[in-house]
Amino acid sequence: MSEESVHHIFQTEAEELLVEMEDALLALEDDPTNQELVNSLFRAMHTIKGAAGVFNFNHITEFTHPVETEVDLIRQGQRTVDSNLIATLLKIKDHTWALVESAVDGDGSLSNALYETGEALLQELQGERSVAPAAKANTATSSVERAPESSTSNGHSRANPIEEMFAHDFHDDDEPPESDGRMDSDQWFISLDFQADALRNGLDPASFISYLSNLGDINDIVTLTHRVPSLEKADFESCYLGFRIAFVSQASKADIEAVFEFALDDCTVSILPPHSKVATYLKQIEDLPELESLRLGDILLSIGAVTKAELERALNLQSSDENGATEERKKIGELLVEQKVIEQPVIERALKKQQKSREQSQTIRVDSNKLGQLINLVGELVTSSAAMKIVVERYHMRDADEVVAGMEHLVEEIRDHALQLRMVQIGDTFSRFRRVTRDVSNELGKKIDLVISGGESELDKTVVEKINDPLTHLVRNALDHGIELPSERLAAGKPEAGTITLNAFHDSGHIVIEVIDDGRGLDPEKIQAKAEKVGLIEPGVTLSRAEIFRLVFEPGLSTKEQASNLSGRGVGMDVVRRNIEALRGSVELDSNVGKGTHITINLPLTLAIIDGFMVGAGHERYVIPLSMVEECVEFNNGDWYEEKGQSNFINLRGEVMPFVRLRTFFQVPQRQQRQHRESLVVVRMGRHKAGFVVDQLFGEQQTVIKPLGDIFQHLKGVSGATILGTGDIALILDVQGLLTLAGNQHAHHSQAVVGSEANEHTEG
Amino acid sequence: MNVSSKDAGHLSDTADVSQYLTFQAGQETLAIAILDVKEIIEIEAITRVPMMPDFICGIINLRGQVVPVIDLARRLGRDASVTTKKSCIVLVEVHHQGSSQFIGMMVDEVNEILEIDEQHTQPPPEFGTDIRTDFIQAMGRVDERFIILLDVNHVLSVSDISALSQVVKQAKAESLTTQDSDSGDASDAS
Repeated sequence: MSEESVHHIFQTEAEELLVEMEDALLALEDDPTNQELVNSLFRAMHTIKGAAGVFNFNHITEFTHPVETEVDLIRQGQRTVDSNLIATLLKIKDHTWALVESAVDGDGSLSNALYETGEALLQELQGERSVAPAAKANTATSSVERAPESSTSNGHSRANPIEEMFAHDFHDDDEPPESDGRMDSDQWFISLDFQADALRNGLDPASFISYLSNLGDINDIVTLTHRVPSLEKADFESCYLGFRIAFVSQASKADIEAVFEFALDDCTVSILPPHSKVATYLKQIEDLPELESLRLGDILLSIGAVTKAELERALNLQSSDENGATEERKKIGELLVEQKVIEQPVIERALKKQQKSREQSQTIRVDSNKLGQLINLVGELVTSSAAMKIVVERYHMRDADEVVAGMEHLVEEIRDHALQLRMVQIGDTFSRFRRVTRDVSNELGKKIDLVISGGESELDKTVVEKINDPLTHLVRNALDHGIELPSERLAAGKPEAGTITLNAFHDSGHIVIEVIDDGRGLDPEKIQAKAEKVGLIEPGVTLSRAEIFRLVFEPGLSTKEQASNLSGRGVGMDVVRRNIEALRGSVELDSNVGKGTHITINLPLTLAIIDGFMVGAGHERYVIPLSMVEECVEFNNGDWYEEKGQSNFINLRGEVMPFVRLRTFFQVPQRQQRQHRESLVVVRMGRHKAGFVVDQLFGEQQTVIKPLGDIFQHLKGVSGATILGTGDIALILDVQGLLTLAGNQHAHHSQAVVGSEANEHTEG
Repeated sequence: MNVSSKDAGHLSDTADVSQYLTFQAGQETLAIAILDVKEIIEIEAITRVPMMPDFICGIINLRGQVVPVIDLARRLGRDASVTTKKSCIVLVEVHHQGSSQFIGMMVDEVNEILEIDEQHTQPPPEFGTDIRTDFIQAMGRVDERFIILLDVNHVLSVSDISALSQVVKQAKAESLTTQDSDSGDASDAS
């Protein structure tokens, strides 16, 4: 894997972690004592720090390390979470992302601006600590001297904390190691076990130890000599020594590790960070990245709870046990506990972690391009299976019928599963707005709650990506223009805090996204006046409510008098509509003055393959998205009203609905006498129903959507094309666009007619 | 367009010679640079796209890809071409907003590939041709006659065509309403 792609993975992971961190921070505002949230903060910082260390992104490590330390204080309850702290941490999150981007894209150097921001943020973070209980202040100064007291009070005779720490190294007896977690001193415990060849390979243990003293103070050092053989057996070029060092330093673990970098091949180095031992192990286990197939031994080893030697010893024991009764083979965890190498709670936590890792490993990361290719191929498969069906039908191959039916079924399933792969929940998109809401309400002095529901609704990733911008715009509008200032709200008899609701749900093959606010709402009269002023509509025209609100999505219309830096420049809503329509979706707005605004976005679930319903108009074929088809009825059923210059509508079982005759609407060239058996396909869009009059019904058809290309970008009413099994092409109807078009035409027409006959305006 | 001598093949030693594909469209011989041509295909079923300008014939299925086809003669302001046995579609690649796209040109007949020395090309006359000047890349002299060398990126300009389709739609919308209601009457009578 190239360095670049590895960096890319780092970047993606960091982004995810930071998003998680942001979510946790925002949730902490409501629930400042939630330990789980604090843990996820810590996890984000810790993991990014660790990963950055691997890539030598030192700027990130340097920045995240102190942050991690502070977050750790929160985790231990030494610092309380308040809104200032959250604000700072949010800024830190942003800065970390800036650092990540600069590290991945840049040449490894740090711009001055970034550096200064980072320093300032750290100051801010650490400065705020004075607000918190001062308890932690002495931890930094507490040192090895305190340890003996604690151990003696514990009834142990050993005066040396190191001996206590590494009890099992000194005594192979039954003495249990320190397990009550009282070793709460701020020193590092470093164990160095040099291998026999260390000296021959040119390593000098003493030089490492003396170099270590550059980083801090060595409080105590114990030389382990138990490996030194008797004089006769000893090889004087071999190293038999081990060292246990108690070390006080502000340096990061990575720095201390770096001291022994050259020794790693010939020396077992384990560095145990300060603070209580068991708790540290437990935390470290929590913080381990969730990798595939983590073995228990590896977990313990990686956190330093056991040394490699200990683990190997236990493993040897385990395999020698195997010779006996295989069924009774002991688990490695039990063995380690038996060996007094490790405490039971640590093992338990590690086992839990292992379980979790295994669960996590069931998801894999796949490049979305690869999924795209797969879906394209599935599309081709759908087309060719349709082609096969046609051939089989043409030659009346009875035997093959069943095979074809079976294959069609499988292809359908493959299609559904392939599309499912790209489905993501919209919740992530929604929760990004928590931050926006928070920032904007602070900036504008408003109180705004964001309520999210239906976040588990799924839709195609490509749709999610493209809906983000329009959605941002709508939410910002609601924040900026919709919700009033607290004083205005109170004066209007509303609760002080405004509410913005983001909601999503599935509706007949579509996803509906709602952005609802309980703000000041839009005044139809103002909109109309403004539209007249900018020349969008003729003065004095009577428009329906829905039509007026539709004007909001026209270019150049903003009712806010003054543009803020958030929105209101009148370039927004038309872009929103265009983006949504580009996704074959639609957007509607409804509003009540003083009560709020309700925006409904309707989107298709996927942009790739749909179930279609094929109809014929003349000799041309069109596909209507099946999800929109309500029913098909014969043309002569019901009462038809088609009069010159009047609406084309039908009274179907007491329900009046407009209809469009496709053949005439699309001006299909006539080749033969028209058939007299037309059908009506009833389509439904949200609350509206309409009919299409067609000449033929071909039935359901799996439809692979092919884009028409830029030449047809202004074409309304047709959203794409699909290739049929015969190799012919059918156009896919954009039902909403088509009906709007038909409506407009009709309005044009009736206006022209009425305008010429009398000087009155019709309501469209 | 200049091409290197290697691209021009063994036919010539000079570097300033370009190859052009000549064809008939609207009783006229026209040419485009051979490097713009991707493929020449027979006319198969063209699916009409409603509500588009007349010069857009429709779309075809090119090995699973949907490709628009325009009637070159109409695009140049001539009468609609009549499909004959010799008619074919010249596929060209045009560039639009950073991406490239295939567009088919329906022509009456494809003739031959000609080499034209750059010295034998002239800028288009400012007037006198009935083809929009910006469509013409240059006039090429071949054996004492001039052939119009078309600039495909202008003739098949995606933004130009899509903008035109908007205008057409408006006009059609006006004319359509009457037809719509006419046929409505007819169906009432049936």
